[in-house]
Amino acid sequence: MTQALVKIDGLQKWYADFHALRDVTLHVGAGERVVICGPSGSGKSSLVRCVNRLEPHQGGRIEVAGTVLDDSPAAVHRIRLLSGMVFQQFNLFPHLTVLENLTLGPIHALRQTASQAEAHAMQLLERVRVADQALKFPGQLSGGQQQRVAIARALMTNPQLLLFDEPTSSLDPEMVSEVLDVMIELAREGVTMIVVTHEMGFARAVADLVVFMDQGEVVESAPPATFFANPANDRTRQFLAKLDLAA
Amino acid sequence: MPRISHTRPGEGRTLPRPDSDHGWLRTVRDGFFSGWISGAITVVFVAGLATILPSVWRWAVADAVWYTTDPSACRAASGACWAVVAEKYRVILFGTYPYDQHWRGALVVLFVTGLAVLSSVPRLWSARLFVVWAVAAVTVAVLMFGGIFGLPYVGTNQWGGLPLTMIVFITSVVFGLPLAVVLALGRRSHLPVIRAVCIGVIEIVRGLPLVSVLFMMIILLPLFLPSDLTVDKLLRALIGMVVFFGAYAAEVVRGGLQAIPAGQYDAAKALGLGYWPSMFKIILPQALRIVIPALMNDIIRAFKNTTFVSVIGIFDMLGATKASLRDVDWVRYSTEAYIFVALVFFLYCFAMSRYSQFIETRLGREDTR
Ligand SMILES: Nc1ncnc2c1ncn2[C@@H]1O[C@H](COP(=O)(O)OP(=O)(O)OP(=O)(O)O)[C@@H](O)[C@H]1O
Ligand SMILES: [Mg+2]
Repeated sequence: MTQALVKIDGLQKWYADFHALRDVTLHVGAGERVVICGPSGSGKSSLVRCVNRLEPHQGGRIEVAGTVLDDSPAAVHRIRLLSGMVFQQFNLFPHLTVLENLTLGPIHALRQTASQAEAHAMQLLERVRVADQALKFPGQLSGGQQQRVAIARALMTNPQLLLFDEPTSSLDPEMVSEVLDVMIELAREGVTMIVVTHEMGFARAVADLVVFMDQGEVVESAPPATFFANPANDRTRQFLAKLDLAA
Repeated sequence: MPRISHTRPGEGRTLPRPDSDHGWLRTVRDGFFSGWISGAITVVFVAGLATILPSVWRWAVADAVWYTTDPSACRAASGACWAVVAEKYRVILFGTYPYDQHWRGALVVLFVTGLAVLSSVPRLWSARLFVVWAVAAVTVAVLMFGGIFGLPYVGTNQWGGLPLTMIVFITSVVFGLPLAVVLALGRRSHLPVIRAVCIGVIEIVRGLPLVSVLFMMIILLPLFLPSDLTVDKLLRALIGMVVFFGAYAAEVVRGGLQAIPAGQYDAAKALGLGYWPSMFKIILPQALRIVIPALMNDIIRAFKNTTFVSVIGIFDMLGATKASLRDVDWVRYSTEAYIFVALVFFLYCFAMSRYSQFIETRLGREDTR
C-alpha cells in the first residue's frame, strides 16, 4: 500500500452538544480516490470540512502529508495550501472576474507575481475548458461553467489533495456531466481526491474506495465493485435502494 | 369539454394593450380625480397653493429688493431684501478668514468638490483614491494654513464658512469610514477585548447627541491629556465628528458584513488566505458595495451635521452667517441670508441624494449581471 496522504483516526466532532462525527477513521493513500456517500445530515460535509479546518474537531487525529492538524496556524495554513476544495455552491467571488478568482489565492497566499499566476490560471482554465470566459464575472456563467472555474481555482496551488463537497448537487441535470468529466480526468491524472457525492456512476468509474456514512459514523467502506454488488450493512442497502429509485 | 386555443409557432399576433392610449384628459382624471377622496385632496391642495403662492411671490420676487448697498432702500420696500446676500456673501462663505485671502478658501471648495465628484465615479474606484485624497489633504492644509510658498499664515481660529464646512464634512467621512470598518470588524472579532472596546465605542457614541460629543471633545479631552499638550480646537471638533460618523457607519458596515454568505469565508480559507487578505480582497469589497446606499444616507447627514460645530464656537457656513448678521444695518434681513445658506446646503445634499439613487440602481444592475 502507498503511504497514506490523509490519515483520519478516531475523529470526533460536536456542534455545541450535537455529536456530528463519531469515531471516524479513514486513511487515503496518495493518488487514491475516495467517494463518501450517505443520507442528508450524516456528517459527510462535516468530515471533509474538518480535513482543511473549515471546522475544528474535538477529538481524534487528522494528519495530511505528514502534518498533524492542530490549533497551530502554521499547520492549518500548510494543510490548506496543499489541499484544494470545491463546494456545492461554487463559492466563487462574485465581484472578481474568473481570472481574478483564480489568481487571488496564489498572489496573496503564495506571493506569486501577477503574471506568473495569470499564466498558470490560463493553463488551468484551458484544462477545464472555460478559458474563453476568463474575463467574465461568475454571475455571467452557467452553473456548470462556474463549477469548472471553481475546480480550476482549487488547482491553483498545485494541491496534493482535492476535497469535493457535493460538487454537482446544485447543478441543472444537463450540466452535471461536464463537471464530472473534468473530475474524472483529474482522477485519471492521479490527484488524490475525497469526494462527497451521490453520483454513483462517478464512484464506479474512478473510486478506489466508497465510504457510506450514517448518523456521524462510517457504516461501511469497500471498493466500488464490492460496495455496490455486496453491501454488507442493512443501512447501506436501504440507502442504495433509494438512490436506485431516484435514478 | 375544455376549450383550448392553439396558436401555431409564429402565428401569434402582437396586439396593442387596449388601455395604453391615455390622452392628457384621462391622465389628469386618473391622477387627480380618480375618486371622491382624491378629488377632494386635489381641490384643497390647489386652493391652498392659490392662497399662499401670490404672497410668497410678492415677498420673494415682486416687492423684493435685489441689489443695493444701502440698507435703508430695503427698509422702504415691503418684500425680501436679497441685497443682504450680495452684501454679506463673502462673510457667509468664508467667515473670518482674512478678506484678501478668500481666494484660497474658494480654491479649497472647488478642489474638494471636484475630487468628491471624481471619487463618486464607480469606474475610478480603486485603492489609488486613498493616495489621491491623502495628497489632497496636504494641498488643502497648505492652502488653508499657508505659511509657505509666500502665503501668509492663517490659524484655524480664523477659518470659517464653506471651506470649513467642507473640511469638517470631508474629514468626517474620509477618516470616519475607515474607522467604521475597523469598528465593524472589531465588533465581530474573536478576541474579547477588541470586541468589548469596539462595542463600547459604538454604543456609547450612538447613545449621545452629537452636541454632547463635541462638548466632550472640547471640555473633557483636555482633562485627560497632559496639561502642556494643547490640541487645536478645530482638531478636537474634527475628532469628535469622525468618531460620531464612524460609530454610526460601523453599524451599517456590520449589516453589510452579515450579508456576505458563509461560503465566501469558506472559499477564502480553503485557498489559504489569511484574515487581512480575505477581508480586504473578498469580504469588504462585497460588503461595502451592498451598503453604499445606506452609507450615502449617513454621508448626507454628516454634511448637515457640520452645522453643529458652531455651538462650540467654530464658524462653519451657518455660524459665519449668524456672525455676519451682527451688523445692525442688516440684522433684520437674517431670513433672506438663512434662505441663501439653506439653498447652498440643499444643492450639496440634493446632489448627494440624487447620486445615491444613481448608485443604487447602478449597483443593483451589477448584482444581476
Ligand atoms: N454549523 C453547524 N451548527 C450546528 N449543527 C450543524 C452545523 N453544521 C452541520 N450541523 C449538523 O451536523 C449534522 C451533519 O451535518 P453535515 O452537513 O455534515 O451533513 P451532510 O452529510 O453533509 O448532509 P447533506 O447531505 O445534507 O449535506 C447535521 O445534523 C447538521 O444539522
Ligand atoms: Mg453536506
